Amino acid sequence: MRLKEWQLAFETFLLDEDRSANLSLGKSLIGGPTLDVGTGLAIYHNAYKARLLEVLRNDFPTILHWLGDEEFDDLAMAYIRRYPSAHYSLRWLGKGFEGFVREHLVPEQSAPLAELIALEWAFTLAFDAPADEPLTIDAVAALAPEEWPELRVKAVPSLQWLGCRFNSLALWRSVKEKADFPESMALDIPQACLIWRNQLICSYRSLDSAQATALDGLVNQGWSFAELCAELAVTYGEGAPLQAVTWLKQWIQEGLLVRLQR
Amino acid sequence: MSVSLPFLGYGLGLRSTYYQQILEQSPDVDWFEVVSENFMVQGGKALYYLDAIAERYPLVMHGVSLSIGGPHALDPDYLNQLKQLAERVRPAWISDHLCWSRGNAHQLHDLLPLPYTEESLDYIAARVMQVQDILQRPLVLENVSSYVRVASDDFTEWEFLAALSRESGCELLLDVNNVYVSSRNHGFDPWAFISSLPIDKVRQLHLAGHSDYGDYVIDTHDHPVSDPVWALYQRSLEHFGPVATLLERDDHFPPFDELLDELQKARELGNKVLAGRQQCA
Repeated sequence: MRLKEWQLAFETFLLDEDRSANLSLGKSLIGGPTLDVGTGLAIYHNAYKARLLEVLRNDFPTILHWLGDEEFDDLAMAYIRRYPSAHYSLRWLGKGFEGFVREHLVPEQSAPLAELIALEWAFTLAFDAPADEPLTIDAVAALAPEEWPELRVKAVPSLQWLGCRFNSLALWRSVKEKADFPESMALDIPQACLIWRNQLICSYRSLDSAQATALDGLVNQGWSFAELCAELAVTYGEGAPLQAVTWLKQWIQEGLLVRLQR
Repeated sequence: MSVSLPFLGYGLGLRSTYYQQILEQSPDVDWFEVVSENFMVQGGKALYYLDAIAERYPLVMHGVSLSIGGPHALDPDYLNQLKQLAERVRPAWISDHLCWSRGNAHQLHDLLPLPYTEESLDYIAARVMQVQDILQRPLVLENVSSYVRVASDDFTEWEFLAALSRESGCELLLDVNNVYVSSRNHGFDPWAFISSLPIDKVRQLHLAGHSDYGDYVIDTHDHPVSDPVWALYQRSLEHFGPVATLLERDDHFPPFDELLDELQKARELGNKVLAGRQQCA
């Protein structure tokens, strides 16, 4: 066999669920004194599977806890067989896991599972996202009064924004804190969840819809501080600037914002 | 025997388990080897520690995804990332493995064996030269552990490494543990392998542990270095002279002091052997 033809046979063998090699690949190989070809090939087959499963187990510890070893491995292997790794770094292996679960399982099963997968994946994205210079309290304290109305910000690059319809955050937290694992359930009111990295530490929190709308307006819709106050006035009337400053201070202290320079 | 390659001393593979202790304790380690792909990210802890450790220790970059023998075209994105990382790290050298890790369509994430044929030699030598042109430095290639051999090989693995180095100008990373593992699995004399390599091309040595299953041995990097590998290491130093030595550990991480003790064992062995060589000279 030519080199590329032989490699194609080897690749096909590794990716196939069945560990028995095709005849021509087996015939092209020789074993050693006490290591036969079948065992040698099985070592590669096992290593491929074990290495990829280990990556997914590390990236999705809450899903692993929820499903248990066997069910997790079955689901993860089904994903890997359907979508073999396309990136040279195993860091990206889990990128399509949420999508696979949504298409692979019926919606009643997939919705809470996929949401939790998205949550765990969001932590990996925040973990190694680029750094930026977060806006500080000192920097806004030094703003001239005329600079306030036109103050515009964006989110730090690590900020991941998830809409949660289930108690995914509670499930995640219970595994993180080694506490009792709650039952998965739908939330009465869907909530937004933020995941981001402040310096080197990943943080998370949920936020109510009023705050979510305000933060979304500021970092995603391009509102200035004056526009934020105007939007809040609908609900808070004269208290709108105070509410805007209170939230702004909280978001700055959490390391969520980067100033957009004019 | 003159040795022209610089001797970096005795190093450890940089693993996240030990980041904090390295910064706090400034251990007596001459250099660290970093897995290139672990730092091909845009921010966060890995790059923070990489920069901090690079300020204190010489670094070498060791990749696992170049897939120099793979059936695909070389990945320009990967090579670009590798080059960018090298600009950041300023490594003493850049290494990867003589293997393939990517297939026709998919990443396989393993150090897969190659047929050692004339066809492979021509194909891989051309690709090594392509990589060296991009990186503007010799590529250092490591021998891998293997569990099957191709029946139609034209060369032994050691003949192939020597020929590849001659044809492409690449340097060699001799993994003594991998030689031992493959020699047990395939039934060859490990010293025939080691002593056949071109002395002036061996840039670095690797030491690691393996798992011995009796009928075969697997390169697991999760045990201390075994006695037969220490013996081969000693003989290698006697043969090659001072060659930068790296202790690898990838799983079942022991307390840091235990790893440092194992590195110290390599250093003491090296000092003894190299002093003996000088006396003979």
